[in-house]
Amino acid sequence: MAGPRFVADPPEAVRTVAIETLTALYHRPSGTTHILAPPAPQILEALAGRPGDADALLRRMEERFDLASDDAPNAVAARLAELEAAGLVRRA
Amino acid sequence: MSASDDSSPAKEGFAPSRRTMLALGAAAASTVVTIRPAFANTAVSVLNCQIPVPSPDQAGNYIAADGSVVPPGTPGAFPPAPRPLTGEEVKALLHNGPTPAGLDADAAQAYVKYIGRLHAGTSGFTCFASLQMPR
Amino acid sequence: MHRLELRIGPVSFRIGSAWQRPLDQLRRLYAGYPPAETPCDFTVRLEPARPWRRFVRPSLTITGDYWLPDTAPLPLSLGLLAAEMGMNLQMALGQRRYLLLHAAAVEREGRAVLMTGLSGAGKSTLAALLGERGWRFMGDEFALLGLDDGLLHAFPRAVSLKNEALPLFAGVVAERLGPLLEGTPKGTIRHLRPDREAIMRMDEPARPVLILFPRFGADLASAVRPVGAAEVFVRLTQASTNYVALAERGFAALTGLVTAVPGRAIDYANGGEAVALVETLWEETR
Repeated sequence: MAGPRFVADPPEAVRTVAIETLTALYHRPSGTTHILAPPAPQILEALAGRPGDADALLRRMEERFDLASDDAPNAVAARLAELEAAGLVRRA
Repeated sequence: MSASDDSSPAKEGFAPSRRTMLALGAAAASTVVTIRPAFANTAVSVLNCQIPVPSPDQAGNYIAADGSVVPPGTPGAFPPAPRPLTGEEVKALLHNGPTPAGLDADAAQAYVKYIGRLHAGTSGFTCFASLQMPR
Repeated sequence: MHRLELRIGPVSFRIGSAWQRPLDQLRRLYAGYPPAETPCDFTVRLEPARPWRRFVRPSLTITGDYWLPDTAPLPLSLGLLAAEMGMNLQMALGQRRYLLLHAAAVEREGRAVLMTGLSGAGKSTLAALLGERGWRFMGDEFALLGLDDGLLHAFPRAVSLKNEALPLFAGVVAERLGPLLEGTPKGTIRHLRPDREAIMRMDEPARPVLILFPRFGADLASAVRPVGAAEVFVRLTQASTNYVALAERGFAALTGLVTAVPGRAIDYANGGEAVALVETLWEETR
């Protein structure tokens, strides 16, 4: 059981600028600016316009990256909670 | 986005593509920082601000020890501040500094609680918000 | 209502006052500045705090196109300061053509240094000192970042100097100093008019090449530390009154700035050390 499905806004809804290892993100619908550290930007990319639960998200990310984590389910849940609190993902 | 990814097909199909490592982070880590407006910090700091206790539309009411506004004469509550408190005085009180001249020490604590409950739109809120921002 | 119009860099102000005196002081302080471009961008008004306060223990409130509630009235003796605060307020609340940074700026050879992070008087003193040591003074309170060109545009207001800093400027011509103002929220202060070069060249923007976070302390050893671009970005959003209002253009301008310009924190114990650090670091950006 992988919990609720989340979705992020499509790529046109955000504007991003890389600043060293971090990403500055301007969220057009809300006019809010966020600073993101990996894996947050990668999660947003994986969910942009494509709903998915935590399992689906992990699968999508594994296609592009070698994921490193001691506790992937909890880590992903924590990242999704942060992004939801920031208004960058919502329940689908 | 920022993660570099050299999984594009290599020229001539020789070298296998390498995938980038991505750490998911500890559960307690913080990977999202939301920028909050700092309006009050720089705009109000250029002005000398003050906070009436209670606000003019509640003039005459008393302030209870927990900062709530109560009818005049309520037992245990304090009369309105004799003059508006300046931003400097409130800042000092917030940091356990001296009681401003002319004010009773216990009343001053009640006033601080009242100020802590101010919300946008209430007289004094902008001044209070500006004191909260680190300089 | 008495009136005065003033242009500082790209911004023109119309200042109305119930009393003539503060405007006379303002006119003398800004002698030599170019004429305002009308219609003015902003209006400031100095009005009696209560009708009878026009005459009895005169005190004023600052108002204008933009104003804030909860402001304490000031005595008429501080009318000049009130006018300056009023102009600050209009910029802080109403400026939309430039990204406003609460920072001082100086330039040399078209390459500008931004100094931010200190309380008003600290960076003001440093910017004014640099202005007296061959740098072109571009402003001490607000730095204006062009939204389309990414350049710094000068806003050379009179510098408000704390009493303790005045001896550092003992050599300047007396005519450049405003009246001694006592009992202000920052103690005793005097205003210093920027020099002729700053006034004559106020319409020349400059390319930012260095962002400094100065820290003054009598027992600090002179030091320099890099500040990462992401940290500079976040700190500058907190040093801007209109970043949020400018929406995506503000985001583009600020990310453009921090990805192109290095940030350094500097510690110093006196003005001489500060000037030396600024000059060394500016040289290194060539």
